[in-house]
Amino acid sequence: MSETIDKKKKHRKSKGQETKATSRPSGGAEAATLDVVTEPVMGLDHSIYLPTMARIAEVQDITEREKFYRVELERPLGHRPGQFVMLSRLGVGEAPISISCGPRNDNILEMVIRRAGSLTQVIHGLKPGDLLGVRGPFGSGFHLRELEGHDILFVAGGLGLAPLRSLIQPVVTQAERYGRITLVSGCRTPADELFRDEVKSWGKIPNVQVVRLVNETQHMPWDGEVGLVTAPLQSLPMDVERTIAVLCGPPVMYKFVLMELAARHLPFERIFVDLERRMKCGVGKCGHCQINDLYCCQEGPVFRFSDIAKLREALS
Amino acid sequence: MGAFLAPKTGILGWIRELANNHLVLFPQRTGSASYQFEAVNERSQLDFEDFDSPVPRPGFRASSNGTPPGKALLPAREELFRFRRSEDGRIEFFPTLDDRPRILAGVRPCDLKAIHLMDLVFDSGQKDSHYLTRRSHTAIIAHDCLQPCDEHCFCDAAGSLRSRDGADVFLTPLEGEILVQCLSDRGEELVANAGFTPCDDAESRLAWAEAQRAQPFGRQLPVSVDELPEIIARQWDSNLWHKHSERCFSCGTCNLVCPTCYCFDVRDDLQLEDPSGGVRERHWDGCMLPDFAEVAGGHNFRGEATARQRHRVKRKFEYLTKRFGLGSFCVGCGRCGHQCTAGIDIYDIVKDLAEAGA
Repeated sequence: MSETIDKKKKHRKSKGQETKATSRPSGGAEAATLDVVTEPVMGLDHSIYLPTMARIAEVQDITEREKFYRVELERPLGHRPGQFVMLSRLGVGEAPISISCGPRNDNILEMVIRRAGSLTQVIHGLKPGDLLGVRGPFGSGFHLRELEGHDILFVAGGLGLAPLRSLIQPVVTQAERYGRITLVSGCRTPADELFRDEVKSWGKIPNVQVVRLVNETQHMPWDGEVGLVTAPLQSLPMDVERTIAVLCGPPVMYKFVLMELAARHLPFERIFVDLERRMKCGVGKCGHCQINDLYCCQEGPVFRFSDIAKLREALS
Repeated sequence: MGAFLAPKTGILGWIRELANNHLVLFPQRTGSASYQFEAVNERSQLDFEDFDSPVPRPGFRASSNGTPPGKALLPAREELFRFRRSEDGRIEFFPTLDDRPRILAGVRPCDLKAIHLMDLVFDSGQKDSHYLTRRSHTAIIAHDCLQPCDEHCFCDAAGSLRSRDGADVFLTPLEGEILVQCLSDRGEELVANAGFTPCDDAESRLAWAEAQRAQPFGRQLPVSVDELPEIIARQWDSNLWHKHSERCFSCGTCNLVCPTCYCFDVRDDLQLEDPSGGVRERHWDGCMLPDFAEVAGGHNFRGEATARQRHRVKRKFEYLTKRFGLGSFCVGCGRCGHQCTAGIDIYDIVKDLAEAGA
């Protein structure tokens, strides 16, 4: 407790100074201990690339390649569903990671991290108590109010369930505010399924229907269906006048799911897609996430499909 | 704002004078034919032909050969912040903001326009204090071009020849003299002690210079640069993209020499001298490099050289133009075409597109 007070004092002091721009360790300027800053950092004496530090509270193996992380931040993240953070391990690097939890008032951030490169490899080796750098939240995300009163169709492919969970959680916990809620969630094999118990529990909520699929069982026990996520879309009851579809999955999934939804005459204005791009900054500068004249980190990663339907590099 | 007349031979003396008290970056010959913007010191051999020569000469090639001056504001490798674990176990951050005053001198209109565009990019949305700090401590002495730098120039067609925004001092070559115009308070300060003669008929001098300007000025395009976004937007499936990219080595040289290429990668480095700390840096990156748009799952949204070429051209003439509304992001300096190993010239691509789509 006394440590917290100490930190606050230091923060006030550094805020009160007329700060001159340069502050290198060798320059003798007082270090900005940004892990204790409690307000958004503004002004040119700070850097938009500075992370705040977060402590890993919990790690769970969920598949062979994916781990679930619950981290404790210095302050509530204040995110919308569908936003992302720039996550880093100091000395190793930084990458965009989807937020997996719904909006919350505490200091918790949940993410699913797939081992896909050197940074995620290192993060997979971390334990509770270890520190991560977090910047954000970034990106457009979803506005829950726009979805209320509609039937919601979620289509998740593989790791796409991780970002979608940030939207499904707040929707199903207030299911009475929506019409029919449907989740079609597919993955390669039973061993690749994310959040199995939680997904099943969503299916027990009145008004919520869950269809779980795998491409193949590979002789593992499986209590869902076998096939692609497109199959149930052909026969699901759907009131196209009041349905909003939200898709998140690998590039190949979008093409076929969108074909099915078009066949059911669901207007593009009521289809949302959550896209993946390489990102280095999260703030619309580095150029990596550019989709024609849009930046995935600014206008996306959640796009209304009607806004990007004509952009040729958006989906593949 | 003040206007002065200086003898042609006086400009370089003034630059040297400024360099006694400031960091002055000025184009200097680094190889047989290459110029780079480097710090002026007492050993510097300044041979700024436009200013040296008593008669206007057609060719001063600093602009089209060397690294653009704007790259001094966005170095190839730049520290964003240092971090260190303190003795009580907390992580401390030290943002690296470069506020050393400096002067960029010998900047041509094309590069001035490019810097103005970069200012906009890094100032829009979340402000990039690293670029903006360096920029706000950088004065710019720019000058007019009455002749194209070389056969690659198409700055007039690209709409940057008459750029003045962002300059503190602007020089216009006259007969035997240079018109020195102060465009900002900072510019007034730089000129204050130069001993130049006040000029009260700057407008007529400028009109004289305008009359001397080469016509046509450099390579021209069949349509106005303002029409290009729409014309190019219609030609996604044109076979011209393939025609102009089949020789591309995807080496990224065009990105490196472009005054408006600012894409970057962010990397961490641990410090050998202090294992408890390290540094996060940004490095230039380039959209022509094959893995630029590759995501973690392995999918590459621009896996083919044709797609990358199209992206680069559209970014310069269409995407960023639409996004920022300040005209073309290609300023027509001609560097990429001049430097390309395979001889691919963005001017040829755009000219073909303009002819096919007009």
